[in-house]
Amino acid sequence: MSAFFEKILRESKIAFGFFDQDYILKDNSNLLAQYTGGRLQKKSAVLWDIFPELVGSEDKIHDLLFKSIKKFEFEKLTRLTDENKLRYFTLSLFPYRDDSLSSQHLLCIVTDTTAATSLEQQVQQQKNEIRLLHANIATLQNRYGEEIYGKSEKIQAVKDFIDKIAKIRNTTILLYGESGTGKNLVAYAIHKKSMQEESPFVEINCASIPDTLIESEIFGYEKGAFTNAFSSKKGLLEEANGGTLFLDEIGELPLPLQAKFLSFLETKRFRRLGSTQEHTVQVRIIAATNRDLKKAVEAKEFRQDLFYRLNVVSNELPPLRELGEDVIILANYYLNYFSFDFGKKIIGLSRDAEAKLLNYAWPGNVRELRNVIERAVIFAENNMITQDDLLLYNAIDAKKVRVINDTFSLPTGGLSLYELEKKLLLQALERSDGNQTKAAKLLGLSLDTFRYRLKKYNL
Amino acid sequence: MPQSKAGKINKKVCLLGTFAVGKSSLVRQFVYSQFSDDYLSTLGVQLATKSLDTINPETQKAYQVNLILWDLAQVEKFDAVTKTYLHGSQAAIMVFDLTRRASLIDYEETISGFREINPESKIVLAGNKTDLAHTEESRLEIERIAADLSCPVFFTSAKTGENVDALFHTLAQKLL
Repeated sequence: MSAFFEKILRESKIAFGFFDQDYILKDNSNLLAQYTGGRLQKKSAVLWDIFPELVGSEDKIHDLLFKSIKKFEFEKLTRLTDENKLRYFTLSLFPYRDDSLSSQHLLCIVTDTTAATSLEQQVQQQKNEIRLLHANIATLQNRYGEEIYGKSEKIQAVKDFIDKIAKIRNTTILLYGESGTGKNLVAYAIHKKSMQEESPFVEINCASIPDTLIESEIFGYEKGAFTNAFSSKKGLLEEANGGTLFLDEIGELPLPLQAKFLSFLETKRFRRLGSTQEHTVQVRIIAATNRDLKKAVEAKEFRQDLFYRLNVVSNELPPLRELGEDVIILANYYLNYFSFDFGKKIIGLSRDAEAKLLNYAWPGNVRELRNVIERAVIFAENNMITQDDLLLYNAIDAKKVRVINDTFSLPTGGLSLYELEKKLLLQALERSDGNQTKAAKLLGLSLDTFRYRLKKYNL
Repeated sequence: MPQSKAGKINKKVCLLGTFAVGKSSLVRQFVYSQFSDDYLSTLGVQLATKSLDTINPETQKAYQVNLILWDLAQVEKFDAVTKTYLHGSQAAIMVFDLTRRASLIDYEETISGFREINPESKIVLAGNKTDLAHTEESRLEIERIAADLSCPVFFTSAKTGENVDALFHTLAQKLL
């Protein structure tokens, strides 16, 4: 090709290649190399190797050569430049034949569209970031909603507890309750009512961090304290200085660490890993657990002195099945929340849906209710949530719980609850052929709770 | 299907799913063993290829499969451009974000639209972001979708690489 045409095409950011009926490259402009990542250096480069985007479109390209199709095109394809930036282009293919050619050929034109498409990408990026931020804010608002919903006596007692304890800023608090009863919500409510606006609220789930890492997470470490400690790092205690540290699932705190944590609770001083220097922080500690810590003490899994130190002020949060009509209040709250979040117009719960919610035992408590409503809003086809929209995973409903209440009575000589629970876990596993998900359902437990109990009994 | 010059079997695979579920990150982890926390929205198509040596479990024959991965922006409508993108795909990976239940909306429309264009195609599901806090219910929901669609599901982390290779290797085997 003449230098003259090559110049015109280069300035117009247009490249081309010319292929025969065997899809072998016969001629091309120099600029095509920018889109081929060195693949033009091969002898007899094939169309699919140069443009892998065309794999899957063989039928279309065949039609260009042998039928009357005039054009085939892909928009907004990309390549990385040498500077690791995205180059956008349009790939257009046409059938071509002139007097010099004995057969139909394929003309492939590449047009750089980076300038326009980059702008479009930036707009899309902004839109998606806003959508993501909205979703994140909504999640946080939901997780740490400032209001505790419900009118039942039990919820009112929880609200009273929060009001009272919020006035005393340096007391350690221990929250008990089944999984999903909102222990983190109550902890955050206490924090909000007792601390300054900008005070940090730091949360850690003791069960979710490996034993080997939890000490460095809580207390921090100095550079060189262990392999890969390339720099010093503050622990969560320091991050929470002036605010609240919420330790969820405190019952899972490894025994060796319990002594160090007790020492901190007593003195408010601690040392980072690998350091001899003591740090002092002002932090309110709120701990939570769904374990019976007294039993854990008896089983020598939890230090007695730490238990008494934590148990100065404690409160047991009620399970959802004991809150009566509050289930409907909470369901409506989540219904409005998710309807807004997903942009759906759902006006309420039908009577049969309300009845279904009230007759369910809610083994997963509020967390389960939230997920059930979220799913119902996503899949609802009408403007009312009906009982068919409510998918309840844990099939034990309130009626079955009542059956247990009516038929089961404590033997006169008493029994070992520990052994009973262990046997029920084993029976459930046996009946479900070892499938933990099914076994958990048989006992009306979430999979997490079921696994936790297996671990508890070393099963 | 043309064989590439190297004698590999080329297979076009599309990644589907709503925005910010980690489609690009999964491809990046699988192909380049890289991960970035920065979110960069995909516009149009980003293509990546990777060859896998795999064995057909039925015949025990060894193959080299060249996966041509189409990392697509969220499919919002099945217009002519989108249909051109999806045409000729042998498989799709439908990606969900385990931490964002909203990412489960509209999957049915996306998958049925894809299958309408490629009726013989395979589908694999990925519940991504296992490294972040998520609920058991999200997993169960995705498992239920997988059961409904009769397709395999993997719970992955593009950040740690958990199950990423397994996802693509299983897909490669299904394509033989």
